Amino acid sequence: MKNWHLRDIILVTILAIFMGVIFWALNPVYTLLAAALAPLGLQPLANEILLGVWVMAGPLAGFIIRIPGAATLGEFLGAVVEMFLGGIWGASTLISGAIQGLGAEIGFAATGYKRFGWGTLALSTLTTTIVTFAWDLLRSGYATYHLNFLLLLFVVRLLSVFFFGGVLTKLIANLLIRAHVLPTTNR
Amino acid sequence: MNPTIKLSLVILIAFEISFTQVWMVNLALLIVSLLLMIYAHVSFKRLLWLTAVPLFFASALVWSLKLQGSTTPHFLGVIFTRIFVYVYLGGWFSQTTQPLALARSLEQNAKLPAKFAYGFLAAFNLMPKIQAEVATIKAAALMRGQVLHIWSPQLYFKVILAAMNWSDQLAAAMTSHGFVEGAPRTYATTIPLRHRDWWLLGLSLLLVQLGLFCGLP
Amino acid sequence: MTTAIRNLTFTYPNQEHPVLADLSATFPDGSFNLLTGPSGGGKSTLLKLIAGLLPLPTGSQIILAGQALQELPATQRASQVAMLFQEPSTQFTMDTVLDELRFALENQQISAAEMPAKIAAALDFVGITSLKNRHLTHLSGGEQQKVALAVIVAMDSKVILLDEPFASIDPAARLDLLQNLVQLSQAHGKTIILADHDLSLYERWIDHLSVLEAGHLTTLSPEATQQRLAIFSAPQRQLTHVTLPDRQLPVILQGQDLGLRQGTRQLINPQDLSLFAHQITLITGPNGSGKSTLLRALVRLTDYQGTLTYDGINIQKRRRKAYARQVALMFQSASAQFLNVTVAEEIALSHKYGRQTYFTPERVDQLLAQLNLTQQRDQIIYTLSGGQQKKVQLLCMLMMAPQVLLLDEPLKGLDYDSIQAVLSILKTVQHDLQLTLIMISHQLSGLDGFVTLHLQLADCQLRYQEADQ
Repeated sequence: MKNWHLRDIILVTILAIFMGVIFWALNPVYTLLAAALAPLGLQPLANEILLGVWVMAGPLAGFIIRIPGAATLGEFLGAVVEMFLGGIWGASTLISGAIQGLGAEIGFAATGYKRFGWGTLALSTLTTTIVTFAWDLLRSGYATYHLNFLLLLFVVRLLSVFFFGGVLTKLIANLLIRAHVLPTTNR
Repeated sequence: MNPTIKLSLVILIAFEISFTQVWMVNLALLIVSLLLMIYAHVSFKRLLWLTAVPLFFASALVWSLKLQGSTTPHFLGVIFTRIFVYVYLGGWFSQTTQPLALARSLEQNAKLPAKFAYGFLAAFNLMPKIQAEVATIKAAALMRGQVLHIWSPQLYFKVILAAMNWSDQLAAAMTSHGFVEGAPRTYATTIPLRHRDWWLLGLSLLLVQLGLFCGLP
Repeated sequence: MTTAIRNLTFTYPNQEHPVLADLSATFPDGSFNLLTGPSGGGKSTLLKLIAGLLPLPTGSQIILAGQALQELPATQRASQVAMLFQEPSTQFTMDTVLDELRFALENQQISAAEMPAKIAAALDFVGITSLKNRHLTHLSGGEQQKVALAVIVAMDSKVILLDEPFASIDPAARLDLLQNLVQLSQAHGKTIILADHDLSLYERWIDHLSVLEAGHLTTLSPEATQQRLAIFSAPQRQLTHVTLPDRQLPVILQGQDLGLRQGTRQLINPQDLSLFAHQITLITGPNGSGKSTLLRALVRLTDYQGTLTYDGINIQKRRRKAYARQVALMFQSASAQFLNVTVAEEIALSHKYGRQTYFTPERVDQLLAQLNLTQQRDQIIYTLSGGQQKKVQLLCMLMMAPQVLLLDEPLKGLDYDSIQAVLSILKTVQHDLQLTLIMISHQLSGLDGFVTLHLQLADCQLRYQEADQ
C-alpha cells in the first residue's frame, strides 16, 4: 500500500480547495433554494439536494490518490477551506467534513483500497449517506422529524450523493483514465 | 492562545454541544465567542455576516422542524442557539488564527509530520490562483460553446489536471528549496505552548461540563 | 572540481525512445552555461535529473561540484544544487518573501539566530530588500523569480539550475537577474546551467553554449557559441506592409481610459484604444509588459481600469455566454482550451457549436491534412507534442469562428512548415469569414504581409506603428 508523499498531500489539498471554490460558487443557488423552500418548512431539502456536491471531494480524492485516508483527508481539508472562507456551519464543518470523509472512506476501505470500480463507488455512496445522515439526526435535530419527512430527506440525500459522489465521480474518473493520468479501475 | 490548543478547544466544544441539549450553555458559549471576536477586533462587517447567515439558516431549520416534526420549544431553542455557537466558534478561530501559525504549531506542538503541515500550507497559499483557474476553465469552455455546470464531468476533469500539474510543480519546488520528508528541521519561529494554554483549555472545558451538568433537566 | 554528467540515458515510462541517450558533459566550477535545443528535446528533464528531482537511472552518474549525486544525503542536496523554475508562481511554500527564505533555511537546519543575517545578505545581493515582507502572490513574475534566486543565494547552493526562467518576465528584471547570475558565477564560483530555447540577448553574459538535440549534448567552442548567438541578436524582422489605421476603419472593440495593473505595478497607463474590425492586428512588446493581460481583459478574465465596449456596448453588460461566442481567446497554453480526451472529440465539439456551414467535414479533413494531423485523429490530446496540441487548438478555435479571435502566441513551439500552414489557414479563414484577428507573437517570420496593423506596447503605452523602412 502506498504511503503519503509530499506530492499527494499537496494534490489532495489543492483538490479540496478546488472543490471548496466550486461549492462556494454554488452558494447563491443554495441560499435561493433554501429561501424558497423555507416558508413551507422544507429548508433541509435544499441541504439534501446539494449535499452530494459537498461530499464529492471525498470519493474523488479517494479515487485519484488511492492511499488510505485520502477520502477523509480530502473532505476534511475541504471543510477547513470552507470554515476559513466563512461557511454557514462554522466550526461544525470540521466535524462534518471528517465524518463525511470517513463515510466515503469506509466504502474504499471495505474493498481494501484495491478495487476502484462501480461497486466501490456505490458502496462508498451508501456509507457516506448513512454516516452523514446519522450525524444530522443528532446535530440538526433530524431525529424529531416525522418519519415520512425523514424518509424523504434520506432518499433525496441518497440520490444526491449517488449522483455526485457516484455517477459524476465515475464519469470524471473515466475521463482521467482515458487521458492516461489515472491507472485503470481494477489493478 | 496556542493555535493547536485553540483548534482542539473549538472542535471539542462543537462536538460536545452536538449531543447536548442545554440552551443556556449554548447561549453562554455564543456570547463568549462573540465577545472574544470583538476583543480580537474582528471587523463589524465580518461580525454582521457571521450573524446574518446563521440567523437565516437557524430560523429556517427551526421553522422546518416545527412544521414537519414533533418537538418541544425547548429543543428548538437548543437547535437555534447551537448553530450560532458553531458559526461564532468557527469565526473566532478562523478570524484570529493565521494559517502559517497553525501549520507551525501543528508541526512543533502536535508533532504533525512536516510534510503534512507544509504540504497543506503550500497548497493553501495557491488559493487565489485556484480561484482564478476555475473562472478560466469556465470561460475557455464558453469560447468552445460549452457551458460547464456543477454537474459537468469536464469541469472537474480540467480542475484535476490543473491540480496534478501544480502539485508536481510545488513538490519539486519544495524539494529544491531543501525540504526532505522526515528530515529534522530547525524553527525560525518557535510557537510557544505554555502552561497557561493547557490551563485555559482545561478550565474552559470544565466550565462547559459544569454548565451542562447544572443545566440538565 | 567540476560538475559532470556521465553516460546518462533516460527514458520516460510508457515511452519507447530515450529522451537523453548516453549523454556526457562537463561544466567547470564558476562557469555560466547556456543550454539550448528544440522544445520537448529534454532540457527540463536533464535539469530535473541534475537537481535530483527525478530518480537517476542505474549506470548513469552525475557529479555536483566534485560530489556524486547518488552518494549525497538528501538533506545536503539543496546546499549542493537548487533549481529556479519556469513558472514563477508555483515555486513557493509560504505566504511572504521572508517566510519563504526562513522555510528554506529551516530545511537546511540553520539555527534561528543565524537566519536574519543570511536572509538580509541574500535579499541585498538580489536587490529586493524592499520586498521582504510582501506577500508572494502580490508580486509580479519578475519579482517572484528574484525571490526564487534569493532563496538559492541564501541556501548557498553550489550548482544553480534555471529552467526557462525569463519566459514571462519583463526585460528589466531579466537584466537584473542576469547580472546577479554572472556575479554568482564569477565572484562566488557557482556553476550556473540555464536552459532557454530563445537565445536572444545572451551574448554578453555566458561562457558556454550547449545544444541538446536527439538526446545528445554538444558544447560549442567559444567562436561557434558567439556565432550562434549572433544569429539571434540580428535585427528583428521587419514589418513593411503594415499601415497606420485609417480613420474610416470600423472599430469593433473600444477602450476608454483603459488601464491595466498587476499587483501594484501599472502595466498599461490609462489610454483610449481602438481595435479595428476585419483586420489582422499584431501586438508586440517585451515579455511581461502586459500583452497577455490585455487579451485576458478583453475576454473579461482580468479586472481593468476604465471601460471596454464591444460593438458599442460595455462588455461587462453583455451576457457571458453570448459574448464568449463573439470575442474568444486562443490561450497561450493549448491544454487550457481542451475539454475532451481525443483529437476527434475536440473537433466534434467545435463542429457541434461552431460555424458548420463553412467548416464542413470535408473542409475539416482537408485542414487536418494541411496541418499534418490526419494520423493523429484518434490520439489522446495530452500525449501529443506541444506543437501538435497548438495546431489542434488553433483548428478548434477557428471552427468556432468568433467575430473577434484573440491569439496569444499561436506560433509558439511550431516548426517552419507548421508556421506556414497555420498562417495560410488563418489568412484564408479570416478572409472568407471576415473575422477580426488580434494576435500576440514574438516570432515575426512570415508575419510581414500577413498582419495589417501593428500595435506596439512600450513604456506602458500601446501605439499603432507605421511600416518599417
